[in-house]
Amino acid sequence: MKAVLHIIEYDFRNFFRYKWWLAGLISMNLADLLIMAVVYNKIVNPDLFLGQLKSYFNFFAPGVTVLGLFASAFMIGREVNMEVRREIHHYMLSLPITRLELAVGRLLAGGLRGMMYMTPLLLITFLFLGFPSPSQLLIILGALMLLATGISGLSIAAAVSITSFEKFVTARGLIYYVLFFCSSIFYPSSLIRTLGQDGLIPQPIVVLAELNPLSSGADLIRSFLIGTPIFTLEMIRNLAIFSMIFSTTSTLAYVKIIERK
Amino acid sequence: MRKLFFVIERDLRMFVQYKFLIIMRAIWFVSQVAFFGLIASRMVVPQLADIYFEYYVAGVVVMMLYSASVFIGYDIFEEAEHGVFEYLLSLPVSRKELVLGRSIGGGIRSFILVGPLIAITLFIIGLANPVNFLIAFFSLFLFAFGVSGMSITIAVGLKSADRFDILMGVLNAFIIRLSTTMYPQVFVQEANLAYAKVSEFNPVTFASDLFRWGVGIERYFTMTPMPLAAIIGLVIFFAIFTFVGITIYERRLEGGGWR
Repeated sequence: MKAVLHIIEYDFRNFFRYKWWLAGLISMNLADLLIMAVVYNKIVNPDLFLGQLKSYFNFFAPGVTVLGLFASAFMIGREVNMEVRREIHHYMLSLPITRLELAVGRLLAGGLRGMMYMTPLLLITFLFLGFPSPSQLLIILGALMLLATGISGLSIAAAVSITSFEKFVTARGLIYYVLFFCSSIFYPSSLIRTLGQDGLIPQPIVVLAELNPLSSGADLIRSFLIGTPIFTLEMIRNLAIFSMIFSTTSTLAYVKIIERK
Repeated sequence: MRKLFFVIERDLRMFVQYKFLIIMRAIWFVSQVAFFGLIASRMVVPQLADIYFEYYVAGVVVMMLYSASVFIGYDIFEEAEHGVFEYLLSLPVSRKELVLGRSIGGGIRSFILVGPLIAITLFIIGLANPVNFLIAFFSLFLFAFGVSGMSITIAVGLKSADRFDILMGVLNAFIIRLSTTMYPQVFVQEANLAYAKVSEFNPVTFASDLFRWGVGIERYFTMTPMPLAAIIGLVIFFAIFTFVGITIYERRLEGGGWR
């Protein structure tokens, strides 16, 4: 356990080295929230939400929180990919730490870094939309931790499977855009379903948007803060499955890749 | 003049190396159009619903043009890091030719990247008036050269790749969102007067409005008379950043000032 904590500490120290990058990321998230969402308030048809929502801003604020969580938790993959390419993992292997502890430490560090980055965005969301009850807050934080760990696992799995930096960056872009835009971050799930029924969006995209962990994360926050969509256990289930699959895959892949000669 | 072409040619050849960047940008374009554009056009108020998809697609092209033109600044840092600057300075090319060539090369290569996307956009939107389109198309060159000049100015002014990266990220976040790439000016004004003021004098707004005018989306213009007002805005933007860029870059080049 102590070894895992050391790895987490190591990754947190690395995280703060990217302060410029983090400042850029937070300014982009804030620009999305404070400019784009404010203007979209005037553009989005109020009938779309059937009076359940006061504004698009209220709908989007939980979405931007999840966006920030995703981008920051995914950063661990970039570092792991760089370490694999430069063979820094040889140094890691020389440490008195088991392979499993190393892999678990990296995974948890990625997730916790995402949670830390996301906290101010979540607080801003609470400030505008109201604070949840303590039990709801615990559920939100637990669910977001599952999401962050899953994202961290996904990025580590991608980082160790693709050794070329350019290919990794391209794959990362593909994952980002597919998960961002095929989710309920920017638009309600109900609208995606309706467009699917009308034949405007292919059914696989509708299914992907529903199973997308980012949709579950954003909708879970919305369900407690704005009351729509209704909270269901499916949201937690989706996040738990996503987290379990990618935590396991990334741990196994990471252990395997650092032992490869 | 011939030397200027050599500098431009070099930048164009270098751009081919960035095939992964091109793939990534293409994925971004498809996601923006096929997902966000399509779904958002079903979310908007009735008075905008009939044209929002086309309006947004045209805006995405200008966003692409902006981000591709900015890329020349990253090249400058790469060259400084790898000692290529010394090589460039040893060439029988004047400083002015070098800087002007880089600015034009940066602009042209962004057009090479955006060209196929403009073709897709024309396929989606259609082409109402070819003459208007050609006027808009050539005016957008000024925009691309101006953005490249701006990127070069900031790159040589900052001297730190990290700071450049963050500043361009922040600038990108604000300059795009405080423009009419994603929404018409009338709605920006309704949302916030301060945002509207920035948007009104934003070169990205000039480029977006001009491109929409060129492809025949003639509602919700920010300025009048179109296209003259937008072209004047772009000429001023181009002149300022090309002139300032050349002056600063030229000064920094001497005596290892870029280090």
